[in-house]
Order: sequence, then structure tokens, then C-alpha cells
Amino acid sequence: MSPEDSDRLWIRSSIGVVVGVLAFGILSGFVIMPVVQGAQAGIDPWTAICRALGISPGSPAAQQPRSAASGVPVSNVIWSPQVLNTLSSAPADAGRELAVGVCAACHGELGVSTDPAQFPNMAGQSSAAIYKQLHDYKSGARINDTMQSVVQDLTDTQMAEAAAYFARRARPPWDVTWVRTAGPEADRLARTGDSARGLPACESCHSPAAAGPVETPVLFAQTPQYLSVQMRAFKSGQRRSDLFGRMRDVAGKLSEREIDMLAQYYSEMR
Amino acid sequence: MAARTEQDVVRSELRWSIVVGLTVGAISLAILWAGLVRFINPPSNIETIDPNSVHLSAEFNEANLGTRVENGQVVTRVVATQFSFAPQCVVVPANRQVTLRFTSPDVIHGILVTGTNVNTMVVPGYVAQVHSVFRKTGDLLMPCHEYCGLGHSQMWATVRVVPEDDFKPDADGRALCEKP
Amino acid sequence: MRSLDRLTLAHLWLSFAAFAIACVFGLWQMLARSPWPAPFFTPSNYFLSVTAHGSIMAYVLPTFFIMGFGYFTAERALDRRLPLRRLAWAGFGIGIFGVAMAVATILSGRASVLYTFYPPLTGSVWFYIGLVLVVAASWIWCAIMIVAMRDWKRANPGAPVPLAMFATVANAIMWLWTTAGVGTELVFQIIPAALGWTDSVDVGLSRTLFSWTLHAIVYFWLFPAYIAFYTMAPKAAGGRLYSDTMGRVSFVLFLLYSLPVGMHHLFMDPEHSTGFKFLQMTLTVLVTVPTLFTIFTISASMEIAGRLRGGKGLFGWIGALPWERPMVLATGLAFFMLWFGGGGGLINMSYGMNAMVHNTSWVTAHFHLIFGGTVVIMYFAIAYEIWPHVAGSPANSPARQRLQLWLWAIGMMVMTIPWHWLGLLGQWRRVAQFDYTNPLIAQWGPWVLVSVFGGALLLASALLFVWNLAQAHRRPASAVDAFSFARALHEHDRAPRVLNGFGVWNVLVAVLMLAAYGFPIAQFLIDDRPAALVHRTSGRAP
Repeated sequence: MSPEDSDRLWIRSSIGVVVGVLAFGILSGFVIMPVVQGAQAGIDPWTAICRALGISPGSPAAQQPRSAASGVPVSNVIWSPQVLNTLSSAPADAGRELAVGVCAACHGELGVSTDPAQFPNMAGQSSAAIYKQLHDYKSGARINDTMQSVVQDLTDTQMAEAAAYFARRARPPWDVTWVRTAGPEADRLARTGDSARGLPACESCHSPAAAGPVETPVLFAQTPQYLSVQMRAFKSGQRRSDLFGRMRDVAGKLSEREIDMLAQYYSEMR
Repeated sequence: MAARTEQDVVRSELRWSIVVGLTVGAISLAILWAGLVRFINPPSNIETIDPNSVHLSAEFNEANLGTRVENGQVVTRVVATQFSFAPQCVVVPANRQVTLRFTSPDVIHGILVTGTNVNTMVVPGYVAQVHSVFRKTGDLLMPCHEYCGLGHSQMWATVRVVPEDDFKPDADGRALCEKP
Repeated sequence: MRSLDRLTLAHLWLSFAAFAIACVFGLWQMLARSPWPAPFFTPSNYFLSVTAHGSIMAYVLPTFFIMGFGYFTAERALDRRLPLRRLAWAGFGIGIFGVAMAVATILSGRASVLYTFYPPLTGSVWFYIGLVLVVAASWIWCAIMIVAMRDWKRANPGAPVPLAMFATVANAIMWLWTTAGVGTELVFQIIPAALGWTDSVDVGLSRTLFSWTLHAIVYFWLFPAYIAFYTMAPKAAGGRLYSDTMGRVSFVLFLLYSLPVGMHHLFMDPEHSTGFKFLQMTLTVLVTVPTLFTIFTISASMEIAGRLRGGKGLFGWIGALPWERPMVLATGLAFFMLWFGGGGGLINMSYGMNAMVHNTSWVTAHFHLIFGGTVVIMYFAIAYEIWPHVAGSPANSPARQRLQLWLWAIGMMVMTIPWHWLGLLGQWRRVAQFDYTNPLIAQWGPWVLVSVFGGALLLASALLFVWNLAQAHRRPASAVDAFSFARALHEHDRAPRVLNGFGVWNVLVAVLMLAAYGFPIAQFLIDDRPAALVHRTSGRAP
């Protein structure tokens, strides 16, 4: 065989093998498999082939379930890029008037609360967290008479601006005379969690670098009273606007003692 | 092996190529055959859902999660989220076809059910769907098997397989996990 | 020391130093997952460690090894001065800068997103930019390899490109194809998200683009091992390569079939249809072909060597091989691990059986055995083989080299056999710790502890390896024979045209990629898929 003939043979057989394999894959994957599988599940060949191609949803081998169920959502907040954009790009002092005029009576002009055992400090809190709670009060997903009446007439933009205003206030400073009292057990729960109970570390959501759910608040500068009341409200289901029960699950697995320990631990966080 | 001349080498290679070709062909046909007679497919239903409003959707809002019998079909719906499953326990009947549907409102998750071939990725933006028949009764572990953040290791739920006779959905078709 | 050897040495040392550090991370991770306590354990430390281990083992160790070995091969196999040397050094500079940037970001805890990225989880942008720089450095290497071969072909019209170089260029071309996927994902999806320019990401598309890269990258890592099988092992054994043509066919098949198959990593994903999964599965089966060809050709080559050394009978030649030579020993151990790893791989790629093992320890075991075992043990052997030529003096004594290779192979088997079994029992992946009070998980305990012991052997072997190489620099330079690659049993003055260049193969790769990935990628652009919000580990906006 001349070199040219040999070259030609090589190239033809190479292309032949590649095309042959491709044809086998296409025929099996898009025709034989869906048609045979569909026949068994009572799906017509055309639908089955469309499903195999990815043009219509569903498996070629099984009927799609149909559901007519519905229910009441626990919260109406939608975290769209637009909402996040409003939160991060709200003008620096757009929310000041509202904050000073309305919120300050309890939460303080600078977000440092007048009675932190009852009203949480807002200074330096995540704007998404504040916005979510305001929104939930307005929709009735979270219940508190004072808050619900305050937010009733606010627009989404106003709530976002107020949230952004408080988020940009400086956190209350650490008083050097305070002594840390939370022990290693609380530290372990907060930073490592407890696999036996399926308890993730608190920090896996609440640390600012955790990349957890958008609305997660940062935990610092609150009183132990406030924190433990909230955890107990989640545990009992009295507070239930957390999406997919994330916090209800966690608080439900914590013992009363652990709730107090963690409330103390996070009240000492700055 | 005789490899004195180049012809010997080429001949031996051609023989080996035939063996390789037959091996590869046999593997391909075996897989094709398994798919055809056992109706095996990986989860590939391409149903989309907006991850930001999963909690508002009719199908995946909190009240509709868990197992429900619809038109005679047993359908179990679970939301995988950072860092838990909602609900934390689902109940399914043994020896009946169950359709498991998952979605994620945040990041990528994945699930497997230990001791079964139930396995799927749960990708935000999509409903992942697995059809399965559970043969053995008892509590099975359903962990998240894809890295989803720092709490990934503590993210698991329970699949409770009950004998068909003990599977008693309520008037609305719902069946809930009872506390053990 | 020739300046080219300094270039090779710089690349190899960066690669191996990073490798040794990553082994320490690896052992600590195994401890964290075991019933025993691990010091400094928190989930954030664990995932930082996994990110460091994975990024170094996947991006730093192989990339710099391949670049350094490629420069060595280009000059030795072509017997010509390497063109564009300054550019090569510039590439090294960019690469080391990128490595420093990425590793520093990982260690700061701002990029614990694992080396596989997984948007919408997003780390600090410096992590991604560092990795892009490493890839950019490797592209410079690709260009130099292609230019070197082109220059040689012009100077030697019609002559067959030496097999070692042909394979190296096949790898360079494959790598250019390979990086297109992850490069697109990084530049158009992840980096804008990390910078805060975008707040959402199409996760289906990003997973698909990553899968484009995810399988072929493994073959990028694997090429040097196969180059050593074909062009170094037969010579070390005292024989000849059975067939040069078979080598070329195998390398071309790697180029062809490592790319249109990445979707087998997405079998369990909801964003692709059954048909395309099946098609890519069919193409995946063909990846076994070049490996089966290689096993045949290398076994035949070794048989020639064994018989030349007086081996008789059906299997007598095996015992007659010079197993005391590290390259021969490593080849044998690599083949041994390849049988197990390849067998496991057949399960992974199977359309139906994948559900049984997806994201379990089985998969971790598989790629540690194939890459960490078969491939990395050949990196060791290559380093030992070329060290006298690039460092001026041999690495530590052959006995120490053999000890190191045995430790590695035994450690790898002791670690991965339990992992395979644990995977079948349902042990899932990427978990920082297990609850050993759960009866199901408690029964895994003994297996996990055995694997920790394997990990300890691996770390010991890695440290011994670095020590062995370092010994060469403490000794005066010694004279060594010029380096040469194995010669074929029957040498030719020409090779079939298609097996002496890559034109046809690039066209066929394009056809296969269009068939396998065309619609699966286009679907994300045709209809607007819902995007997921970016979750940044570099902190939330206030």
C-alpha cells in the first residue's frame, strides 16, 4: 500500500469510527431508550422523545405527578436581585427621617435601643435581616402589635431605606469592664454544632462570612433576655416566619439550658 | 508472543483491537439493556422553578411539603435548604412507587437515601425528581451529599418506610411522620 | 546546569512543595471525619482545608509538573533548543503569582468553596483570579509546546514527530479545549458575582460549563503518566516500545474522548435530559479504549524486555524484569492501581449504576486511586528518572526511592479500599464530621480508621519523596549520560499523516463537542432559566 493510500485509509476509518459511535449514542439515547421506556409507562413515543431531548419536562419512563394543592406561605418576602439592590444602594440617609421619627422611640436614633431587653439593637445589623422582619410584620407573618401598626403604611422602599439606615450605624462599643461568662460548651455549639442532633454550628449561618441564607441576622450586641425570648418563640412555634422552618428546627433541638447558654454567648459577641 | 517482524506486531494489535472493540460493545449494550428492561434513568426531568419564591409556590410552600397521595400516586416533596430539610422526616409506604420531588431555594444540595439507589442533585432553579420503590421498612438516613456551606455536615433528614397497611393518609391525602 | 533545566526544576519544585503541604491537609481531614478527634477542628477550618487540598492537588501539582516535564520533553525529544524561553519564564512568574494569590486567599478563610467552585456559593475574587492566572500560565506553556513542534516539523519535513513530543502537544491541545469550559464559567459567571457586579447566577449553566472541564482535566493530569509508560518505562526495563503507532493512536483517542463526556459528572443533575446523558455515556465508554491499548502495548514492551533478560515461559518474563529500577517498579504499581481504579470508574460512568455511588466515598476513592495512585506515582518515577539530568545529581539512593514508591502504593490501597466499601455502605462526601453515635454510622468506624492509617502512610511517603529529591542538591554534580527516550521495536521514517499532526482531530473534537454539548449549553440561552442568588463567603453586604 502506498503512503497516500495508507493515509487515506487511516483518515477514513478514523472518521468512520467516530461517526459510527456518535450515531449509536444518538440512536440509543434519543430514540430507542425513550420509545421503549415510554411504551411501558403509557407515554406516547413523540412525548418520550421530546423528554429525552430535554424539550419538554419529565422522565421518558414515568408519568409526571400533577398537584392541585396549595397553602399559605410563612413569609411573603422574595429575595430578588432588585430587592437586594435597593438595600445596598439606598442613599445613605434616605431612611433617617423614618428611623428618627418613628423607630427611634424604641430602637434609638442610632440603632442603640432604649430598652435592649425588649427591643433589639439595630445598629450594624444586616439590612436584609431588618427588611425581612419589617416585611413580615406588615404581611402578618410575624406578630407584634406595636410593630404591625408601625409598619402598616410603609412601602417596600421605605422599609428598605430604614433597614439600610440602621445597617450603616456603628455597633454599640464593647465596654471593657464586661466579663465574658459563656463557657466552652456554648462555644462548641456556636462554632462546631452537634452532628448527633443534626444541629449545624450557629456560625454556619450567623457568621458574616458564612454565605448562609440571605436574611440571616448577625448576632451581637443584643441582650441575653432578647435572644433567649426569640429562641424560645422559635422553639414553641410562636414565631414562625422563618423560611422552611430553618430556625424553628434548630431552636426545637436546643434544650432550655442551651438556649440560655447561647443567648449569653451571643450577647457577649461584638 | 512472536514479534519478529512488523507484520506480527500489527497482527497482534489488530487482534487486541477486536477484543477491545468487543469489550466496549458489550459494556455499552449491557448498559443499554439495563436501561431498557429496568426502565432506569438518572433524574433528568428539567422542570424549572424560581428559587427566590419557592416558599410562595403552590407546590413547595411549607404547608404542602411531605408525602401526599394524589390521583393514586404517592408524591413526597422536600425542600433542601441551608442547613436542613423541610420537613425533617417524611413517611412513605413500602412496595409502592413513590415519586420524590426536591428543590432548593438557595444553593446546590444533593441527597441520597442510604441503602437505596435514590440519589439526585438538588440544584436551585430546578425540581429534582426521583421515582423509587422502597422494599425494606424502617428509618433511612437522607443526608445532603453536596457541599452547601459550613453547616453541610449536619444536614440530614429521615425517610420512614412503613408497611403498606400502616400507611394511612388523611382525608386530604397527606401522611405525616409521627414522632417515634 | 543548563538554563532549560533550571526552568524544569523551578516548575517541579513548586509542584512538589505544594503537593507535600496538601498531603498534610489531607491527613487532617481524614482525622476530622474519623471517630478520633482532630486538633483545631471547626467546620470552617475543615472546609478551608478541603479547599486548599483540592485546589493544590488539582490545579498546582499537576499543572506545574506537566509544564516542567513538557519543557524537558520538548528539548530532549526534539533535540533542539526550546523556543520562547523568556516567555516560558514569564509564564512561570505569572503562575507562581497566581498560586500565591489563591493560596493566601484560601488560608484567610475567604474562599472555602472547594476547588469545584459550586456557585451560587462564591468566595473572594482573589481566589478565582489567582486560579485564572495559573491557567493563563498553562496557556503560555501550550503555545510554546505547539510552536516547538511546528518549528521541528518545518526543519524535518515528513519525519514523524517523536512520540513523547507528539503526546505532549496532544495534551497541550486538549488542555486548550478543556479550559474553555471553566474559563467561560469563571470569567462570565463567577468573577462578576464575586466582584458584586451580578447578584444571581444560572447554576445549571455553571455546572454544565464546569463539567466540560471536569473530565478532560483528569486526562490532562494523566498524560505524563502515559508518556512515561510509552517512552520511559520500556527503556528503563531494558527493552523497546512494542509499537509507536499504537502510542499515537492512544494519545489521539485521549484528545478525542476526554472532552465530549463531562456530563457523566452530571448524571444526577436535574438540568439535563436523559438523551444527552446517554449520548455522553456512550462516548465515555470509549475512554477505556486508549487505556486498554496502553495496557496491551506496555505489557508487550515489558515482555520483550523480560525475555531479553532471560525470562522464560508464559509469565516468566515478569519476574525477569528489573524491578529494582524505580521506573519499572512504579509502572507495575501504577498498572496494579489502574485495574482497581478503572474498574470502579466503569461503575461511575454507567448510566444506571451511577445512582448507587454518586457523591459517596466511592467516588472519592476512585479519583484518589486513579489520580493520586496511578498518575502521581508516575510523577514520582518521572522525577526520579529525570532528576540526574535536571538537578545535576541523582535523587536519593534507589532503595530509598523504592521505599517511597511502595509506601505510596500501599498507602493508597489501604486508604481507598475502605473508602470504596464505605461508599457502597452509603457514606456521603464533603462532610466535616460524622455522628458515630448513630448505629448506621458507627459500623463505618473501623473502616474509617483503616483508611486514616493509609493516609498516614501517604503523608510519610510524600515527605520522603521531597526529602529524596532534596538530597540531590546536597551532593556535587555528577556526570550522567545524555537523556533519551525509549525507541520503538520497529522504527519508521514516516508516520501516517493523521498520526503526525492534529488538524483532523481538532475538527472531530469540534464535531463531537457540538453534538454532545451544543444543545445542552444552548438550552440555557434559549429559554431564560431561573437564576439563584449569589451567596458570598467573603461576607454579606451591610
